[in-house]
Amino acid sequence: MFEDFQADSSISPLPLLEAKIHQTHSLARLLTKYAEQLFQEYVQLQGDPFGRPGFSPPRPPVAGLSAPGAGHAGLPLPERLRLDAGALAALPPLLDAVRRLQAELNPRTALLRRLEEAARRARALGAALEAVLAALGAEPREPRPEPAAAAAAAAAAAAAAAGAFPAKLLGLRVCGLYRDWVSRTEADLGQLVPGGPA
Amino acid sequence: MPAGRPGPAAQSARRPPPLLPLLLLCVLGAPRGGSGAHTAVISPQDPTLLIGSSLQATCSVRGDPQGPTAEGLYWTLNGRRLPPELSRILNASTLALALANLNGSRQQSGDNLVCHAQDGSILAGSCLYVGLPPEKPFNISCWSKNMKDLTCRWTPGAHGETFLHTNYSLKYKLRWYGQDNTCEEYHTVGPHSCHIPKDLALFTPYEIWVEATNRLGSARSDVLTLDILDVVTTDPPPDVHVSRVGGLEDQLSVRWVSPPALKDFLFQAKYQIRYRVEDSVDWKVVDDVSNQTSCRLAGLKPGTVYFVQVRCNPFGIYGSKKAGIWSEWSHPTAASTPRSERPGPGGGACEPRGGEPSSGPVRRELKQFLGWLKKHAYCSNLSFRLYDQWRAWMQKSHKTRNQDEGILPSGRRGSARGPAR
Repeated sequence: MFEDFQADSSISPLPLLEAKIHQTHSLARLLTKYAEQLFQEYVQLQGDPFGRPGFSPPRPPVAGLSAPGAGHAGLPLPERLRLDAGALAALPPLLDAVRRLQAELNPRTALLRRLEEAARRARALGAALEAVLAALGAEPREPRPEPAAAAAAAAAAAAAAAGAFPAKLLGLRVCGLYRDWVSRTEADLGQLVPGGPA
Repeated sequence: MPAGRPGPAAQSARRPPPLLPLLLLCVLGAPRGGSGAHTAVISPQDPTLLIGSSLQATCSVRGDPQGPTAEGLYWTLNGRRLPPELSRILNASTLALALANLNGSRQQSGDNLVCHAQDGSILAGSCLYVGLPPEKPFNISCWSKNMKDLTCRWTPGAHGETFLHTNYSLKYKLRWYGQDNTCEEYHTVGPHSCHIPKDLALFTPYEIWVEATNRLGSARSDVLTLDILDVVTTDPPPDVHVSRVGGLEDQLSVRWVSPPALKDFLFQAKYQIRYRVEDSVDWKVVDDVSNQTSCRLAGLKPGTVYFVQVRCNPFGIYGSKKAGIWSEWSHPTAASTPRSERPGPGGGACEPRGGEPSSGPVRRELKQFLGWLKKHAYCSNLSFRLYDQWRAWMQKSHKTRNQDEGILPSGRRGSARGPAR
């Protein structure tokens, strides 16, 4: 059904499903803007060189979540959307962990509320995307190997123990991943929207 | 995906390595894209320092023998490369740094001191917290809205600039017994304020103070002792109405309602009225409008729009002897005085009904009125109704005189309008 929806423009999709896709795509577009704002606010509060052009800290994988790969765009759309959904499910506990670290580094700042909002938004977009995938008859994504929240909390504890600078780097990495995956989701959903790029 | 290893900073001699599940973050210790494990550790990690003090730091490289040596390392602080003369090679793997006369931290999350390899890659980082211990907070002031809550404000010592995150905690307790309590709702009326919403006792004094704490120390304010009843304020008087007084072109009547939350207690309340001309920013204040809910403004300009506000001071609640705290001003209410050809005086005071006559031109008029009454009145029932009647009579007769004498509204003589005398 997913391929039929994609390939045959003469098949008129169910109005509700089309509306749901539009809605989810619009949500992804909105969250892309918020994710960029969060990233900018984050780097500003950490101080230079965070946010400076050319700042290139180490980028190890984070609790099983890495950035969209170079080959992501070449994958079939159902696979891309499944990866998007998986990333969106992994992000909320990481954002929560960053919020706890920032509560020590930048207490009583609006950043803490923004990180909390980002976690809620990632959950919402992930749930909406899962609903679209289910409606399209796509195979569900594979369950994660261990509880994401526990892994993220342990990552935060490790970063905090390592010092303030590693904690800042962890948050930079997570906010960057949030921005990248939300933006990726918007692009992938855009191909599902009737009239969007193939 | 590589298995995570604890970062080198976590493995420094000062901290035991944390236990990590396999897929955990390794921030500065993981191999990067096949480049080999080049890591370092900065000591001290996240130091706290006084402004003006010095710092000796080291960056020690770890990793494979083919990795970077101290020779090519360099430091940056908040993204700016530090001059090489501040660094010194201690041994093959350690670069030292000496910073003197440190300035206050640029951000509360700490200044970023970073050790770089020759190619610019980041090997390690440490955050410096440079600032001052807090000074004693002072100038605590508190008020209670309708005896239901307590809000306090204070001034941080040294105007608050410690360059470090400083936590302020408002504490309170009943004077002779009870435990210390901590206020929880901060920033309610500005950055240094706190609101205690409930469970406050009356008729017994509270002790209130502020504790300031940061990484470099703490300070405590002097203790303020107060009884809730001595710091009561209330809402502005509602239902403020301003209206004309018949045809009197220099007066307006102001009426209001006693603030409902305290209306059963306001036996001695004071009110204050302020008014201004529509296109002016200068308010005139009428003080000491004691315990009444109406007032008459006199000596106003005819044909002019006035904005009027009222506020209340609920002093004397339950016998309190303190001055009380004025409420906010009510929302402005506007009204205009009737037009007149006779130029009016610039402004005047309030004439409270049944109260003492106020000063200025009104007083003079009232004196004249009383003199007139003695001559012409056959009853002793003096009232402002009679006074109003007399005023209306005065204005009529003044108008007639002006017309007869050809006096223009500005007071200048012009050509006669009526029959020549």
